[in-house]
Amino acid sequence: MSALKLISRTKLYWGLIAIFLIGVLGSPVSSKGNNIFLSSGNLLDVLRQVSTTGLIATGMTAVIITAGIDLSVGSLMAIGSVVCAMLLTIPGDTPASLMGIPAVGLTALAIGVLATRFVFANRAKMAAGEGAHRHVQLDAMRGWIVPAVVGAVLAGLALWYLLPQVETKFGVLGVLIVAPCVCMLFGALNGVIIVAGRLQPFIVTLAMMVTALGIARLTAGQNNAVLPVYTGSNATEDFEVLRSLVFGVVPMPGLFFLGAILLYGAVLRFTPFGRYVYAIGGNEEAARLSGIASGRVKIATYAISGLLAGVAAVLYVAQYRQGKPDAGAGLELDAIAAVVIGGTSLMGGRGSLAGTFCGVLIFGLLSNILQLHNINSNLQLVLKGVIIVGTVLVQERNAGDLLGFLRFGTTRPAQKETVAPERPSQETRNLGGNANETP
Amino acid sequence: MKRRDMLALATLAATFAATTALTGNAFAQNKKWTIGFSQVTTIEPCRAQFNKDILAEAAKHPEINLIITDGEDKTEKQVADVENLIRQEVDALLVSPKESAGLTGVVQKAIDAKIPVFVLDRNVDTDQYTQFVGGDNELIGRAAGEYAMELLGGKGKAAGNVVEIWGGMGTQPAHDRHDGFHEFTDKEPGIKNLLDQQSGDWKQDQAYNIMANALKANEKIDLVYGHNDPMAYGAYLAAKDAGREKEMKFIGIDGLPDEGVQMVNKGELTATFTYVTPGAEGLRQAIKFLNGEKVEKTITLPTQKITSENAAQVLKDNGL
Repeated sequence: MSALKLISRTKLYWGLIAIFLIGVLGSPVSSKGNNIFLSSGNLLDVLRQVSTTGLIATGMTAVIITAGIDLSVGSLMAIGSVVCAMLLTIPGDTPASLMGIPAVGLTALAIGVLATRFVFANRAKMAAGEGAHRHVQLDAMRGWIVPAVVGAVLAGLALWYLLPQVETKFGVLGVLIVAPCVCMLFGALNGVIIVAGRLQPFIVTLAMMVTALGIARLTAGQNNAVLPVYTGSNATEDFEVLRSLVFGVVPMPGLFFLGAILLYGAVLRFTPFGRYVYAIGGNEEAARLSGIASGRVKIATYAISGLLAGVAAVLYVAQYRQGKPDAGAGLELDAIAAVVIGGTSLMGGRGSLAGTFCGVLIFGLLSNILQLHNINSNLQLVLKGVIIVGTVLVQERNAGDLLGFLRFGTTRPAQKETVAPERPSQETRNLGGNANETP
Repeated sequence: MKRRDMLALATLAATFAATTALTGNAFAQNKKWTIGFSQVTTIEPCRAQFNKDILAEAAKHPEINLIITDGEDKTEKQVADVENLIRQEVDALLVSPKESAGLTGVVQKAIDAKIPVFVLDRNVDTDQYTQFVGGDNELIGRAAGEYAMELLGGKGKAAGNVVEIWGGMGTQPAHDRHDGFHEFTDKEPGIKNLLDQQSGDWKQDQAYNIMANALKANEKIDLVYGHNDPMAYGAYLAAKDAGREKEMKFIGIDGLPDEGVQMVNKGELTATFTYVTPGAEGLRQAIKFLNGEKVEKTITLPTQKITSENAAQVLKDNGL
């Protein structure tokens, strides 16, 4: 591979490096002569600031790779933040605990059942040998009874841990279980409606965005639309850990973001599930015909998107010391922008979490740089828009194409024929890679 | 193809370079003090007035370099703005929080970084800041309630049906403006409240809809109390469209020269009560502090009643 080809294949990283260099070189200098942009405090501020959007963009990436979209994440985060704040500060039966405890029970049951069935099915497939994957049938014992028992036990354990906390106030682990579970159920509901109703993800998640906002407001109640959370006075001390600095340097939300992106990135890259996600985005019909349970995979991506919105919600509550129904307003669009800047195609089938990571950081660093230079806030919005389009143009098109378009006026140069891959090729799934470059 | 990619990279680089060049020398000023002001949003009328006030005051002080940031009405953005100002090592920080809880953490961070913090308009939940400057919404609500009582017949005799249109339900100012108003009206057995906590979210269009419904449901309305002028005006428009605006009085709050005062002057609103933005006073206090003078912990700004009698004069004073 020539050096130039390497450069073009990794242009996303170059974008990140370029913006970083601009940040360093253009940075104002503090009164003590330090480079403000480069100060570890500033860079860690950026990591913390992007972590909420980042978590949401992580879930969004997989959804978009399946050629879907999830507009409900901002509102789901609102529900999560209200539930979390309410559980932390108000003991006893509240809308949050009435909604949260059954949600956890249901989630634990579902996970128990599905995981057990998955293990049995895999063993049966092993026994049946290659080529018989689709024809494996589980008997009643292994198909339903044992999974149901495992699920019930898991649900029981979760409730045994959480129910006593309802009477008092929830601790940090409690809310980290409940809020994501609630959001995950809403996310899964998105997926189920999209799959079972064969509806456009756009309209289903748009409806969910409105519904969830309403639910968040109903949960919070009219009189206390903002639920303040002060650890030590109206909430338990241990919640503090979520806004602490790990080893005194790295902000906790940043670690959550990095952890989520590494974990989900590994799942997308190395597991059959990940390959199915790409295959569905490439050509759903072909994927379905080749035996992929596309419905289930899609439901899973929406559920995980909801789950990550829930995690983001808990971190939001920790960081901003409050839960409120407009917590994630507009965040879904920021996340989608970051995902697309990261090279993931809205048409599906192409993209990566490494790209999303770069996209999120480019977005965060850009805001930081503009702010450090005290650009007029209205001009900032304009510049951000211009840079989003510019970055995506560089991502998607070669400059030659654009120049050719200008030169010939009306006709575009014919695009290379790219066949949507049924199974993602190594090129497509190359982290940060770019399928346009497929030779 | 290789050349094209080179071009693409060059385009990218050029874009960024242009951005940097465009913005590079904003810091080259040589002023004695740099003061950062974190504002919630710039597109709401009262916030725009707030910024106008602080900028007018800043123009009188050539020795300061004032940085105004715009939180775009999002807690996350405003917190990031304040963090950014801390990194820029401003000499003093003025902040007008979106919510108390949401900004408390970052204000504490600024205090820990030894930056004097002046909290404007809405307080935060710590008392280690240097000073709080704000209007007292309960006081303004009381002034409005007392005037409403007079309009409806005076103490002990007041009677009538009142429509109250709330600001944002989760915001303290709305609750304060409600509580202050009801301190007077609740003592009058003749006054009946028609609506049960209807929130227009500070917005004219939402207030219009609330009022339109109230007009259909109630044959007699004597007084409308909007938690701000745009909402009182929205209610006025709804009544006007129903041909009933002469039957009732409209009271608003905020009294911005180009907004509420104009409405009163035109006879659309009966009265408005000024909520002076703490912009000018806050900046004056910060400069005082930087010059080594002592400042009080809390400054409460007074309110002024504006009716048809003094509206023209107020407009003249403001050069309108």
